[in-house]
Amino acid sequence: MNKENINSDPGFANASDARLSALLRESRVSPALPPRFQEGVWRRIEEADAPVKSNGGIAWLDALAALVLRPRLALATATVLMVAGALLGVRDGSQSAHHDAQARYLAAVAPLSLR
Amino acid sequence: MNRSLVILLGALVLCAALLGGSYAVSRRVCQNCMSKSVSDLDWLQQEFHLSDAEMARIQKLHEGYLPKCAEMCAKIAAKKSELETALGGVTNVNPVAQQKLAELAALRAQCQAQMLQHFNEVSQTMPPEQGRRYLAEMRRLTLGLHEQTESSMSESAGHEHHQH
Repeated sequence: MNKENINSDPGFANASDARLSALLRESRVSPALPPRFQEGVWRRIEEADAPVKSNGGIAWLDALAALVLRPRLALATATVLMVAGALLGVRDGSQSAHHDAQARYLAAVAPLSLR
Repeated sequence: MNRSLVILLGALVLCAALLGGSYAVSRRVCQNCMSKSVSDLDWLQQEFHLSDAEMARIQKLHEGYLPKCAEMCAKIAAKKSELETALGGVTNVNPVAQQKLAELAALRAQCQAQMLQHFNEVSQTMPPEQGRRYLAEMRRLTLGLHEQTESSMSESAGHEHHQH
């Protein structure tokens, strides 16, 4: 019943709100600002606006990654690697085939030496 | 994980895959192409740069030698079988087994002599320099293997004697 009475009386509610606000305002603690607070705030804003400076170790890694991602360089590297791999493969393949041919001849003419 | 590091590691893996893949494929293709001709004498022509006329003479010698070689192989196989029979079920080397061992050794020596004779004949059909190289290579490949085994055995025996 009381609750309904309180809620239904607008004058009482307004007065109560005003008193509550005043109490809250009084109870709020506003500490003194530290020395050179404003200067610190501006410095932090300037730092946030400036481009991010990374340290030396990460910088060269980023530069290298950027270099690797260049399409022309990537294509050239891939071509060089494929050609190098193919040349090595041809060299080893021909050596292996030569060795097999030698083993075949030896097996034909000197089977005893293989036992 | 750092994005740059991931990119670099990925690039490295890709590079390794490209190099390895192209190596494996070209090696296989090259080996298959070069092994297509399956003549026993291919190696001679490749290694000693022989002309067709020289190869024809060698082919004739080769075809004449193969039946003799097969005959010797059959004799050696039969003698080995006899030796195994003589050795079967006994713990000591009896006189029969000793006789078979001697006969087997004689057959092997005869086979090797015949083989060396064939190498001599083949080397004479080649240009002198290539012939000398062929003879040296065949002696190294056929007799050198036994020499290596014997020398390694004598070395190990020497070490054991030093230990005693």
